[in-house]
Amino acid sequence: MGEGTELARIIEGCRSGDAEAFAQIVDMYAGRCYGYFYRLTSDRDLSEELLSELFLRLVEKIRSYKGGAFESWLFRVSANIFHDHLRGRQRRKKLLDGRRTELELRPTGDRKSDDKDEKLDKLQIQLNRLDADTRELIVLRFYSGLSFKEIADQRSEPIGTALSKLHRGLKKLRELMEG
Amino acid sequence: MEDRNQEDLRELFERFTEPTEAEAAARDIRLADGMLAAYPVPEPRPEVIIGIKLQIATTLATPPAKPHRLRRVLAAAAAVIVMAILVLLGRDPQTNPQTSYATLIPTAIWESDDIATDDMDIAYLASEISHIEDQVRALEAGQTQDVRVATLHEVETALMQINTEFWRE
Repeated sequence: MGEGTELARIIEGCRSGDAEAFAQIVDMYAGRCYGYFYRLTSDRDLSEELLSELFLRLVEKIRSYKGGAFESWLFRVSANIFHDHLRGRQRRKKLLDGRRTELELRPTGDRKSDDKDEKLDKLQIQLNRLDADTRELIVLRFYSGLSFKEIADQRSEPIGTALSKLHRGLKKLRELMEG
Repeated sequence: MEDRNQEDLRELFERFTEPTEAEAAARDIRLADGMLAAYPVPEPRPEVIIGIKLQIATTLATPPAKPHRLRRVLAAAAAVIVMAILVLLGRDPQTNPQTSYATLIPTAIWESDDIATDDMDIAYLASEISHIEDQVRALEAGQTQDVRVATLHEVETALMQINTEFWRE
């Protein structure tokens, strides 16, 4: 059975309210969706909350999925959840600004010596220095695995615009990482 | 992430720029992809995944709420109030002070045995009626015609919204 056919079977199970089918979707996509949220929020606990919200919203909305690229639909829902979170964050802006400042100003010596943690911090910090739209574009492309056409559709912008923004954003990120 | 739907980045860029620039842009993106891949994100904790699956199973096992009844009640209330306001705007309250009454509570609630749900519906209804009563009192208190019309439009919009959602079910 092909990968697409298997996914279609699982989605059909979800549409008929099968909890086991949803569990399979969680296993298949939790890692990538978590990565997407984590790179946008820099916060593990918050990313886990958004991840929970995503899959619960999927239960509500699975019937509105009309076929086509499931991942494109999934990451559109993810983006909506992230934007809902941003809107809610406006009310708690002061608190979160304090946390971000704390993260950016944290001295290097405070970090764990573990190499993986060091790398994560560095990429995260440099991602946070990009403007929000560029950061979201980079993260969406990397974690969703969507094509440029799907990304452009999702963002309601011409493919050339998405390409150009991503190219400039990635170049800037690479400079920051190497600087 | 390895798979980009096997996109040929150079070919994609060539639609917008010179071949040499397209090649350089595609290379930039491949390098950046490699850089991102070198910094993996931690996985969500296993207990979180288990919690999500449990929440999903619980949600699926719980019978859906019955919002349609509430909407029906609100639609009925809004319809009666709009009628009342239309009458109010069309007639002088000083010369025609009598009040008309109508049944607001749908038969479904009278016939229902689901007391908890009905109580909640009725609480919503009472709150909605109280709000609209305030609006009617404000109109009766002699607000200007402009304000009356604005209030009427507001209530009509609310009614249309409620009815649209109601008929969608």
